[in-house]
Amino acid sequence: MFHRESGYYKTSYAADMALYPLPIARWTVAAVALATCIAPFVLHEYYVSILNLIMVATVGALGLNILVGYTGQISIGHAAFMSVGAYTAANLAVRLDLPFWVTLPAGGLMAAAIGAIVGIPSLRIKGLYLAIATLAGQLIIEWTINHVPWISGGAQASIEVPRPTLFGTQLKTQFQLYWFLLFFAVLAIVGTLNLVRSRIGRAFIAIRDQDIAAEIIGINIFRYKLLAFAISSFYAGVTGVLYTYYLGIANYEQFQIVTSIDYLAMIIIGGLGSILGSIFGAIFVTLLPIVIRLGMENWGSFLFGDADIRNLIPNLRLILFGGLIILFLVLEPEGLNRLWRNIRSYFRVWPFSY
Amino acid sequence: MFDWGFTLALVTNGVLIGLMYSLIALGFVLVYKATDAINFAQGEFVMLAGFIITGMLLLAGAPFWLSVPVAVLGMVAFGFGLERVVLRPLIGRPIIAVIMATIGLATVLRGAAPLFFGAETQALPLPIPDEPIVLGPFSLPPGQVVGALLSLGFLAAFSWFFLKSRMGVAMRAVADNQQVAMAMGINVERYFAIAWGMAGIVAALGGLAWGALLGVDVHLALVGLKVFPVVILGGLDSVLGAIVGGLIVGIVENLAAGYLDPLVGGGTKDFAPYVLMILMLMIRPYGIFGKRRIERV
Amino acid sequence: MRSFKSLGAVVGAAALALSASAFAQKDIVIGLQCDRTGPTQTVGVFLCPGYHDYIALVNSKGGVGGAKIRALEIDHEYKVPSAVESYERHKKEGAVLISLYGTPQTQALTQRLTEDKIAGTSPGFGSAAAANGDKFPYIFPIAASYWSQAAGAVQFVKDKLGGSLRGKKIAYLYFDNPAGREPLPVLEALVKEEGFEMRTFAVPSPGVEMGAQVIDIAQRFKPDFVIAHLFGRSPSVSIKELKRVGYPLSKVVSFVWGSAEADIIAAGGWATAEGYYGLQFAGVGSNYPVLKEITEMYKKQGKAAPKEMASTVFYNRGVLIAAIHVEAISNAVKAKGGTNITPHDVKLGFEKIKGFTLGGLVPPLEINNVDHEGGGWVQIFQAKGGKWVKSTEWFKAYPTLLKKMLATGG
Repeated sequence: MFHRESGYYKTSYAADMALYPLPIARWTVAAVALATCIAPFVLHEYYVSILNLIMVATVGALGLNILVGYTGQISIGHAAFMSVGAYTAANLAVRLDLPFWVTLPAGGLMAAAIGAIVGIPSLRIKGLYLAIATLAGQLIIEWTINHVPWISGGAQASIEVPRPTLFGTQLKTQFQLYWFLLFFAVLAIVGTLNLVRSRIGRAFIAIRDQDIAAEIIGINIFRYKLLAFAISSFYAGVTGVLYTYYLGIANYEQFQIVTSIDYLAMIIIGGLGSILGSIFGAIFVTLLPIVIRLGMENWGSFLFGDADIRNLIPNLRLILFGGLIILFLVLEPEGLNRLWRNIRSYFRVWPFSY
Repeated sequence: MFDWGFTLALVTNGVLIGLMYSLIALGFVLVYKATDAINFAQGEFVMLAGFIITGMLLLAGAPFWLSVPVAVLGMVAFGFGLERVVLRPLIGRPIIAVIMATIGLATVLRGAAPLFFGAETQALPLPIPDEPIVLGPFSLPPGQVVGALLSLGFLAAFSWFFLKSRMGVAMRAVADNQQVAMAMGINVERYFAIAWGMAGIVAALGGLAWGALLGVDVHLALVGLKVFPVVILGGLDSVLGAIVGGLIVGIVENLAAGYLDPLVGGGTKDFAPYVLMILMLMIRPYGIFGKRRIERV
Repeated sequence: MRSFKSLGAVVGAAALALSASAFAQKDIVIGLQCDRTGPTQTVGVFLCPGYHDYIALVNSKGGVGGAKIRALEIDHEYKVPSAVESYERHKKEGAVLISLYGTPQTQALTQRLTEDKIAGTSPGFGSAAAANGDKFPYIFPIAASYWSQAAGAVQFVKDKLGGSLRGKKIAYLYFDNPAGREPLPVLEALVKEEGFEMRTFAVPSPGVEMGAQVIDIAQRFKPDFVIAHLFGRSPSVSIKELKRVGYPLSKVVSFVWGSAEADIIAAGGWATAEGYYGLQFAGVGSNYPVLKEITEMYKKQGKAAPKEMASTVFYNRGVLIAAIHVEAISNAVKAKGGTNITPHDVKLGFEKIKGFTLGGLVPPLEINNVDHEGGGWVQIFQAKGGKWVKSTEWFKAYPTLLKKMLATGG
């Protein structure tokens, strides 16, 4: 990841496809793994809490990227699938007292089922029409949760969930939750890495690039499109469950269109059709408001008065958030991941670039 | 017992509010018709126009007859600029790019407008009496009547424009097939800009009508959510469809609130049009008046 | 790499400077959550400045026990994950209490606040059940919860309709979200107790149009009174539409988030809204000594009073929240005999608040270890002649019923 190759030496497809192209790649992964393991010990709890949010967001961004980036479908109702997962898990955890290793896959599977249903229009329509259909799906799911007390757990539409328990200990602190979330974030990353290299992943990419050609070479488009919706929604459902355990409540108000847009922004800014990009995007979008706030708190007083700063911070966040989406779309459609690769390929042949 | 008076009142209300939805949907349809781009920031356009009008009225102290033309010009300029800076580079890119770009734009506008125009709610009084117009059994609020008339006025104007004017015919050619239009010597990019400019005009008057109804602050942008059922029902590329779709949505909403709500025990008003829209997408995705050129998958 | 190093140096230096200044002053830190950009931003942009102005006023008088108070504002955009992030930040900065914002955010943080033993306040929102200090030891819904507001509204209607509600009809026009439905148990209990007929009219989000509901109210149900519980843009729409269908606004009373100056302006001005009643948990108008002091403070600095002050409903609420927080802190400082107070001290400080009215801006709250709401006081104001005019004194309604419901958790 952080190493640089001195040129192109690959002679076989196997070498090109390998997860670790060079021994040093293995070492970089090991170094990153070591850093993630040490981080919660050395960092203040506050920074651990930010890492936790990033990890949850990573799972969701990966899932959305499978659908949008790899399969080329559109969903602007992804947050609704998160709420499906969240409420499924919350109901199971509270009513049946089930542990997280049951509720988490259950939440994911329920979201996958609902996602596949919402994805059915993708068999008939695409592009803008699909976008609007998923938007309608979002509003209809939201409405249903809001109005069916059996799902939402009463008029409050908010279910308080006990923290997950592991080996008899309840995971309460940010430090404990870090390991819980890290496990699932890593699982999601490894799972996606292998998914996109598999037969299914290649079928997704074929559908994205040219659906008619994909059909001609024998890919069952209907099946794979629904599968993409289902897998992507499974990730979203798991994200919802992780949010539920991390935040302590399942609440539909946190899974509205704004959240769908946040996740879309992550994969646009990070890079469509890229796993590293999903992670970059999750980090970037989570950190953006925090960095703006810290920057303005520390240096804003050079330019503005206190009251202005307080008004400026939230509005600046919106302006930068939207502005960056546009900027990336216009100038660097492949996102942060592409920028990263550009830097690397520049150094690959550096200093003799010609 | 079926209450005819009540139903009549609901339908009247639905017609008026539906035409006001059409007013927002028109801008969306114009852009889609001519450029194949979709504008998820339509609500924010309306909000911006509202802010310009109240900004002129309150901050600059300008009279009403000056504020509205300024808003129209401002929105046309905004539409031109937007097309040039943001949307032109995105031509030929996947649809998600345009969707996200307009969503990004919406976010920027929601962040920037309160900084420039102030975050507090501002009133936008129309220079007409506030008393309802009573016509037999109907009691019509003047603000909504203005909005509905604007809608119908635009319908007439755009119908004429697309059928009779040289520019309109050229724009239809561009919408039909960009490459052929280009080959026939039509400056396609110029017509893209014109379409966005026209959407700006519609948004400016939409901002006037809706701003008068709701007051002007960032919440004004919420009306944008009403666009999607309207345009899908009526057909994405049909001006007449925007009007008819608006009427359907308005009437369905009101009947749902009047007759469905007591049964369900919750608000079905904003939910019913979306269900209708999903059905339409499954049965006839191009809408009632839309051109049947949707890509089959 | 060099640029990264220098960046690191700058960040390090800044952090050092920051921590150094923190040591020098020994501020008492309050964690303040705000929403200046999310769905309730029209509240936040007035409420939060009110909060800061009161804190500035306290600091200009020397702070509490010699220590300055620092309110660290974080805008969480009404997002729950951001609220948790902001909570952790506040905790890191050593906040002695958290001013929560938003119902889902309050619910999500309740567990953490209890574990960390930090008091959080949720004035006018959050779960009504949290007023029970036995069950929720660290949540303070100071001022009126939705249950108390519902009871207050019904009491007010009863008084207006001649002291009895038997056989009367009340319409409940509410925003179709959890907060909108929260008062329903209380209203239903009161239907049984008082023998009136109630019908509910839901306004789904975003609530920019409610012609059908008001036509239903005015032409079919024809209630004796309307109790409205709306948010965002919908209160002004309700005023406008009720006026249009000819329903008298002097028979409408709104809950606390539907009765601000902005709602009146957006509805078409004071002339349109004449007669409309609004429930409040903080005094409204600028005729309170503390507001004059704030104006004076600005004048001394050579500045004009901030324009947010004109929106007295939300601005005063910000002042009220800040004042109660400062009162709790000063109770804690007094009890401890020094300014090195812990969050738990502040919690105990809240439970000693009594007879603190700030010249009538704050209701006569009596917070103790069981009642974290302080009684559930409300006051009703009426839109009259271009401003909000006091219509009742502070009152609390149906305390026995609410107490019973709180004990059983609703």
